[in-house]
Parts: sequence; structure tokens; C-alpha cells
Amino acid sequence: MKRLRIEELLQRNVWDVGKKPHIEINMDACGSCESKLCVKLCPAGCYTVVDGKVLFSYEGCLECGTCRTVCPQGAVKWSYPRSGKGVYYRFT
Amino acid sequence: MIKSNTTFPTKFDAIVVGAGPAGAASAYVLSKKGFKVLLVDRSREAGSKELYGGRIYLGPLKEVWPDLDKKAPIHRWIKKERASIMGKDGRIITIEYNAGRRTSFTAYLPELVRWMVSKAEEEGTIFVDEVVVDELLTSDGKVVGIRSGPDEIRSDVVIDAEGVNRLLLEKLGLVSGPRPEELALGIKEVLKVRKNEINAQFNVDDDEGVAWILMGDITLGIPGGGFIYTFNETISIGIVIHMANAIRAAEAGAINHSFELVENLRLHPYFNKLWKSSDVIEYGAHLTIEDGLSFMPKRLVYPGLLIVGDAAGLILNTGYTVRGVDFAVYSGKLAAEAVEKALSEKEGATEENLKVYEDMVRKSFMYNELKRHRASKELMKDPEFFTKISRIPLKFFSELYEIDKEVPTAYEAFKNACRSEDSGPLSLMFKLWGMVKKL
Amino acid sequence: MVRVVVGIKWVPNTQAVRFDPKTGTLMREGVPSIINPPDLSAVEFALKIKERYGGEAIAITMAPPSAVKGLEHVLGMGVDRAVLISDRAFAGADTLATSYVLAEAIKKISRDVGKVDLAVFGQETIDSSTAHIPAQTASWLRWPYVYYVTDLEIKDDKVVVSRVLEDRVEKYELELPSVISVFMESIEARDVRLLHKLRAKIEKPIVVWSNKELKLDPRCIGLKGSPTMVSKITWTLEVPRKKIVYKPKDPEDAARWLISMLLKDEKTSKIFKWVVGG
Ligand SMILES: Cc1cc2nc3c(=O)[nH]c(=O)nc-3n(C[C@H](O)[C@H](O)[C@H](O)COP(=O)(O)OP(=O)(O)OC[C@H]3O[C@@H](n4cnc5c(N)ncnc54)[C@H](O)[C@@H]3O)c2cc1C
Ligand code: SF4
Repeated sequence: MKRLRIEELLQRNVWDVGKKPHIEINMDACGSCESKLCVKLCPAGCYTVVDGKVLFSYEGCLECGTCRTVCPQGAVKWSYPRSGKGVYYRFT
Repeated sequence: MIKSNTTFPTKFDAIVVGAGPAGAASAYVLSKKGFKVLLVDRSREAGSKELYGGRIYLGPLKEVWPDLDKKAPIHRWIKKERASIMGKDGRIITIEYNAGRRTSFTAYLPELVRWMVSKAEEEGTIFVDEVVVDELLTSDGKVVGIRSGPDEIRSDVVIDAEGVNRLLLEKLGLVSGPRPEELALGIKEVLKVRKNEINAQFNVDDDEGVAWILMGDITLGIPGGGFIYTFNETISIGIVIHMANAIRAAEAGAINHSFELVENLRLHPYFNKLWKSSDVIEYGAHLTIEDGLSFMPKRLVYPGLLIVGDAAGLILNTGYTVRGVDFAVYSGKLAAEAVEKALSEKEGATEENLKVYEDMVRKSFMYNELKRHRASKELMKDPEFFTKISRIPLKFFSELYEIDKEVPTAYEAFKNACRSEDSGPLSLMFKLWGMVKKL
Repeated sequence: MVRVVVGIKWVPNTQAVRFDPKTGTLMREGVPSIINPPDLSAVEFALKIKERYGGEAIAITMAPPSAVKGLEHVLGMGVDRAVLISDRAFAGADTLATSYVLAEAIKKISRDVGKVDLAVFGQETIDSSTAHIPAQTASWLRWPYVYYVTDLEIKDDKVVVSRVLEDRVEKYELELPSVISVFMESIEARDVRLLHKLRAKIEKPIVVWSNKELKLDPRCIGLKGSPTMVSKITWTLEVPRKKIVYKPKDPEDAARWLISMLLKDEKTSKIFKWVVGG
């Protein structure tokens, strides 16, 4: 058994990813944020740090609500994908 | 061919927002009573946004759907309850209870919710999927319908069953934004395993299942726990971590990526033999409620509005059981009954008339359970207690069983175990007793 | 007033279909179908035409009954009604037999509902990518056909369509009725709306046609009417991502770095050298 990377885990799911992001991040607030809890706690690894900057990609979002709960900056403008897009759970 | 320009009614007796267990149950009960019900959900298909642990208690569900145990897509009836306390060093205590009767079962929540919604549709509920509700409409301080994008639809009463992320109630100002103290993050993997392999590994028959909770090192000491549930041909494994403590752990650098915790469980040498030749076929996450009573909105009814299920904080999370689905269904049923009463009165869905719902909830087993378990909740959220409670028994058994020449007496082993955690046996006894009372 | 028929295909969500390298088979268990994504652009295109000129948009699909789900989605976008062509007799059809059935269905709509002015299709499908269907349907109908269309203007009984190629936009004038396929990424599909979806659920404006209604020669439909044979399928292996992030100073720096990386890798360097000629 080998450890799966987050991308591999997410690939196991059914997706219909929309063209428009359903979550918007106010990146200005991220610059001054020390804890960057989104990066550590988002279960889909949607937040990564590159060169000290937070990068966000909505495509693998599991629509859980963790980031909007933990962001100390209130920088997450959170909503749901429309038209039934996003993750599609079958066996959960 | 049907004419394309017929007019259709856009006023309902009740609109239910969110087709989870709570929303599906209230729509079903109301439709069965003859009301015109619209049920709206954002998912591609009923249930396809649902994720939970895996075990549901039958009792409250049967009050809504008496034939559920025969007709619904149930996987296995829980036969074995297991609980493990896990240490850092691979030391693990596992206890097992073999149940005498069938009171709970495993089911895929997407499948079960689809079944519930289809039952509501059979009774006449109009179910609309793929639609996000953006706002609850108000007029003169009363909720009068819903808005989605440019479209508005009106109803005498709205039932809010939106679940743990209460965007609509927040927008109305009825609840505050999400608070890490009250919430927990659940992350889960579904493993494909052959049926006979599951039966052999867990020592169960085809329709018998295992509910297994894990405490201690599986969450790196973050208050919360792990779970393992067996289904027909899959095993669900996952972890739940208390959000406020997860934040502290992240700030302290104790956790780098939450998703690694579930992989730790899947690869754990004590467990991984149970799913040797498995394949991960699904991965997901969902928030749940750590403390229902404090998550509960100040009131469960407002003029034209009732709040049910997770949105109402009606979920019991004791650390060793999560009862959300049966609570959600039951609260949906109570809300539907309250709506029937209110709409039979002349003034309709006023706050006064809807208040029966609040009274029914307060008198129900749900509220009682939430109150009874409140103190133990507090204890389980305390990281110090949380680590101690797992370490002392582990130390005790290692003293007793991992011997070279001399076997200590049980008392000696206990004394040593307590000492290792800086507590005398007596003070620990008091604490344990206090704890047991709370549990 | 324009009557537009838009064809959609109900396809397996190929993103979710995994390949089992051990057995060499596709793992489709529990994988739901979706509307072929390029067809959503076609639906959007049809709705825009309807909005501009008035009239109606009718969706058609030849599919198993589960495709009602997809038809409800496009009704939710604002399509007026839908036809599900569904019959075991149509199963196993290749593009020839499928386009034949679709053409006959479009004729039947013209007879039963009113003259069809335009048939709109997506550029191609994600599960087979043949791009045959619109062209073949046009042939059966003997209507003119233009593909890669991004825009169109109707003047009386003529239509002027814009077709993009790599380096130019061509304009064609066609007689109505005609068939077009919509350039894949040229237009973004709108969201499902509550009122449209509600209407779809209450009025159920979907008719199902089997071969009882279409009355087609059994030799021309389904497996019997399909001369295409798939002789063999081979798989190309998935290339694992390297996940290297490089922050270039400027585009030139980015290009240099990328080329140096491609040349470093044994596999890509071969291809690269072959492409640039040594
Ligand atoms: C990790 C985890 C493990 C759990 N384990 C168990 C367990 O083993 N047993 C158990 O009984 N319970 C368990 N629970 C709890 C249980 O899942 C919930 O209590 C239950 O699902 C609540 O039902 P609900 O109908 O209130 O809300 P939900 O099930 O959350 O349903 C809400 C629905 O509303 C939709 N929705 C929300 N907002 C909108 C909007 N604006 N517009 C349209 N649609 C909207 C959502 O998509 C969703 O379909 C667990 C939960 C988690 C997270
Ligand atoms: S909602 Fe959950 S999965 Fe999506 S970005 Fe936020 S934390 Fe990650």
C-alpha cells in the first residue's frame, strides 16, 4: 500500500467542475496572514503557498466550509457551485 | 406534444430548502398530509452532496417511513461495536461489543437520501435539483418565500434544512458566522473491498456490519476521533477533528495537511490488513457540529420560518456516536406536524402558531439527549483530558502485559500508569468517576 | 420567429471513468452520465438565437431513459421542450444510424410541431470525438451545414454564419433550414434557473419517441443499421505530473526554462527533437 497524494485522492471522485469559481479569495488579506490555516486544514489541498503567496484553485473543492470557518482574515467569499456542478458523491 | 406556454403555479404551501434527511422528511410528511410542497436542493441529483460517517439509528426513521427497514437501500445491520484507544507507539486497546438486536444500520447517505426524496415525490412533493437558493425572502418581518438568482417563489411557510453551512440564516442575521469552537471537520475515504473479504476480516455475515470508533493518536491527539464502518462491498474510514483544536494544532505546527490524517489511518499497520487489497474509490469531507446546543439558533421558529436538522443544531456528537441523520429526520417530521397545525389556524404561519415546533423539540428525546451529553462534550474537547484518557489505560496494559520476568499486580500497574501522567491513583479515581458520571 | 432544434448527447462522465491497468478494462461502476459538455455550448447558442429572434428551442437526444435528467438540465437553462428518442431498437447505433434517427426525428418535429429552421449541435463528443453527427444529420436532411460556428445572423429565409478557423473568420450565407455545429469553447453555458426547472418538473415538457412513433426501417437503425466496427482499442498510459513550479522573470525566461526541462527529460527530449527537426 502506498500513500496517495491529494490529487490522486480527488481523482477518485466524480466531478463536473464549473467554469466559474464559486469561492473568491481576497488575496490582499493573505499577504499579512501568518497562520495560513486554509493551507493546512483544507481537506482538498485547494490552497497552496508558492513563494510566500497563497494560491487558490477551486476545481478540487469538496464544498465543506472549512476555509470560511478557519480564515482569520475573513478573506473567503464562500458560496456553492451552481447548476449542480462540483463534486458528486456516490458512496459516502 | 405539450404546449410550451402553459402557466404553472408559483405559490406553494411550504418550501423546503435543502434535500438532506431533514428536508426530505419534512417534505414527505407535509406532502402526505396533502400540502403543496416545493423541495429545492443544489445537488446534481438528490443526495449527491451528502457525506457522513456511516451508521444510522433506525427508531426515529421508522416513525416517518414504517417500511424503511425493508425498502430503503440499507447495507448492513450493526452487529459489532468496537472502540479502540490508540497510542503513539503502536499500543492499542480494542474492546468489542456483540449486539443483541438490530437498532442501527450502515447506508450510503447519497443513496438513502435519494430514496427519501423519491418517497416525497411519490406523495406529491415537487423536487427541484441543481438550484442554489440565494436568499430567504422577507416581507414585514415575515419569511414569505425564496430567491434564486432572478427568480422568486412564494409560500406560506419556509422550512430551512440547509445543513451545517447556514448561509441563508446568516444572511437573515438569525445566526452568526461559523465558529470553530462549535464545529468539527470530517474527512473520509471509501475503500472497495470484496464482500466475502469483509465478512472474513470482520467476522460477520452478509448483512451484519461493524461500527468502530478510534480515539487517541489517530488524530495526532487533536480532540476528535476516527471511524470505520463496513458496507456491502466497501469500508468507510475517516477522521473527525474539532475545528478549534485543529486550528491550535495547525498554528503549533503539529499538523501540516488535514488530509494526511485519513491516509495515516488507511496505512496504519494495525488496521491496513483489514483492507489489504482495497482500492480507494471515493474521497470527501464535510463539516459537522461539535456541540449542538450552542450551535442551535436562539429560536427555531420565526414568522413564516422553521429550522430543522443540522441547521437547528439538532445533532448529537458524543465522540463515540454521532446521531445526526435520525435527529434530522425526526426534527423534519416535527416541523411538518407543526406546520399542519399552524396552517389550520386562521392567522396561518405566525410565530405564535409555529411555536408548537419549538415545544415539540424541547419535549422530544433529541433535546433530552443533547442536554444529558453536554457535560461529556466539554470534557472531550479538552485536549489535556483527551490525551490523558487514552494514555493511562494504554500504560496500564503495557505494564500488565509487556513483561520480562515479573508480572506486576493490577494495582501496581495502575499506580505506575497514573504516575506516568502525573496523577496519583486517588485523584485519578475521582476524575474518572466524575468523567463516567458525565458520559 | 425561429424554431431551433438542439441535439445533445448523454455521455459517461469520462473524467470519472478509471482505467484498471491490471485488467485492462474501464471501471464505470457508479459513474453517472452527463450532457456532453460541448453540447451545452450548443444549447446556449440555441437559446441566444431564440432570445434574439423569438420562437422556440427544442432539445433532442437519442439515449436511454436516464437521459431525462440531462433534458431537465437544459429545460432548466430555458429550452422550451424536449424529445427523448428512446427504444431498445435504437441501441448499439454508430454515427450513421444515429444521425439517421435524429434526422427523422427533426422531420417529425417539422411535421407535428412546425417547421424547423435550424438544427444546432455541439462540435464533438467527449466519449468518441468523431464530430460526425451534425454533418451526417445535415446529409440525411439535405440541409446545408457549417461547423466551428461562433455567431449567426438570420435575414428572412437566409442565415449568415461566422466560422472561425485558426487564423481567420469566414462568413457563409446559407438557405434556411440549415445545420450548424458550435465552436467548442466559444460560448459559455448559462446556469440552471429555478423557474425554468420548476416548469420542467411541473409541466414535464418531455416527449418520448420510440420506433413506434418514428416508424423507421429496422434495417437502418440500431446495431443492424451500423456498418462501423471498432476493431481494437489500445490505451495510452497516463503520464504522471511532475508538479514542478517555476516562477519566470518574463515570458522569454519561461520559454527557455521550459525547453531546458523538456530537453532534460529522456522521453520528451526525443519528441522535442523530432518536432524541431533534430
Ligand atoms: C464526518 C461526518 C460523520 C457523520 N457521521 C454520522 C453518522 O455516522 N450517523 C449519523 O446519523 N449522522 C452522522 N453525521 C451527521 C449527519 O450527516 C448530519 O447530521 C445530517 O446529514 C444532517 O441532515 P440535514 O438534512 O440537516 O443536513 P444535510 O444532510 O447537510 O443536508 C442539507 C442539504 O441542503 C442543501 N443545501 C444547503 N444550502 C442550500 C442552498 N442554499 N440551496 C440549495 N440547497 C442547499 C445541501 O446541498 C444538502 O443537500 C456525520 C456528519 C459528518 C460530517
Ligand atoms: S470549502 Fe472545503 S474543500 Fe473547498 S476550498 Fe474551502 S476548505 Fe477546501
